[in-house]
Amino acid sequence: MTVDTQVIEHMMNPKNYGNVAGSNAEGMGKNPQNGEKVLVYMRVMNNEEQPYVDDISFQAIGCTTTIVAGSMLTEEAKGLNLNGIYNLVEATLKLLEKLPDEDAACSEMVALAIKAAADTYMKRQEDPDYPVITYQIANNCTPKVEEEKNL
Amino acid sequence: MTTVLIKTHEAWLEMLMAGSMSHTQNRQTLLDFSDILFRHFTWIEHEMIGTGEAYTYERDNIPVKVDRLDSILKNIILRLNELDLQLFGLKDKALSERISSDIHYMIEVLHGMNDEVVTAFAMERKFPGISLTQEATDALTIFLFEETYKEYELIMIYNYLKAHSDDAFLNRIFQILVDESFFHLKRFCDMAAKMGILAVPRVVMKELYQIEDVTQFLKDGIDEELAAKEECKRLSEAVAKDSPELEKFFDFINHQENYHIALMKDALAYFAKKDSNG
Repeated sequence: MTVDTQVIEHMMNPKNYGNVAGSNAEGMGKNPQNGEKVLVYMRVMNNEEQPYVDDISFQAIGCTTTIVAGSMLTEEAKGLNLNGIYNLVEATLKLLEKLPDEDAACSEMVALAIKAAADTYMKRQEDPDYPVITYQIANNCTPKVEEEKNL
Repeated sequence: MTTVLIKTHEAWLEMLMAGSMSHTQNRQTLLDFSDILFRHFTWIEHEMIGTGEAYTYERDNIPVKVDRLDSILKNIILRLNELDLQLFGLKDKALSERISSDIHYMIEVLHGMNDEVVTAFAMERKFPGISLTQEATDALTIFLFEETYKEYELIMIYNYLKAHSDDAFLNRIFQILVDESFFHLKRFCDMAAKMGILAVPRVVMKELYQIEDVTQFLKDGIDEELAAKEECKRLSEAVAKDSPELEKFFDFINHQENYHIALMKDALAYFAKKDSNG
């Protein structure tokens, strides 16, 4: 992770960390290899055109990179309508394709948690008791050299 | 009682941060007060367990970014006054009076403290008197963020385990691990303040401390301690050229992990013995 002033700001004061009062959609991104996870809470409101994210927060069991990614992406997500949310997730995942697995894994976990929360919201329009959706990441956060050493 | 627990938790951390940002004799007093508030927290928790009231370690984020010590002291005084008013919610009146008496004394001392300029949030990322390479500075920055949170997380986990156990052997181990993590947390906060990157650790998710399988937690904990040893070794090597003082400090932390691992192994052996005895 490149440690610049903006990243340090997010480390010192992660934005949107915690719960959202009146959250009506939650989603989880999970790393099955090490148990790290991100839980996203969203309060989705309806306006005349389409539902939008009135408030969003996250909690994580993970490293500093996950916290920085959570802080940045939830800031981006706040105020977007659901199409905007799906576009944000898609653009993030596309961007992560260019990074090594171990650098991409934490941000992927956050992006998938946001997608899971949006999907949970959609499902709950038909079934209000629909459980929290969880997506597992495809990237591996263990650096390749370390992985080979562990074999 | 939940509000009292949350407010005490927040006051404890805010006081700890204030102590970490002080450069004068205020420092030790503030850190001592933070220890007292943590003990209040454990007493209130104990009472809640006794009355069967459900609780978690949830709390609000605590804004601590100030440029004068006076500013945070005023915030703490407001928080303590608010807490004092909430104490009527405690069923144990003797406990309530004891906490209230401590709070009144602390407020009086805080009012009399001299102001200081605070540089703990300046983001200079320079250790006084030590010149580190950019790579070592970045590695140390990430280490301090990771580890201040990790030590806070461990305090909360071992405190929760201790609060819910009446086994003297295990509680001795949990208490030592809490004490060790307190020492590390204070040292890392001190270093973060010197680097200008002091931050309140984030809230710990409840599934981390409401542990269902303690033996698995201990096994994972040993692996984490081994990984922490490696990290300390890497950091020690990264700073060795520029600072023998920091090199020695990270070697010291590295060797302390052996002690934690030994304690966790003792706890695991104890669980295994208990299981074999049925």
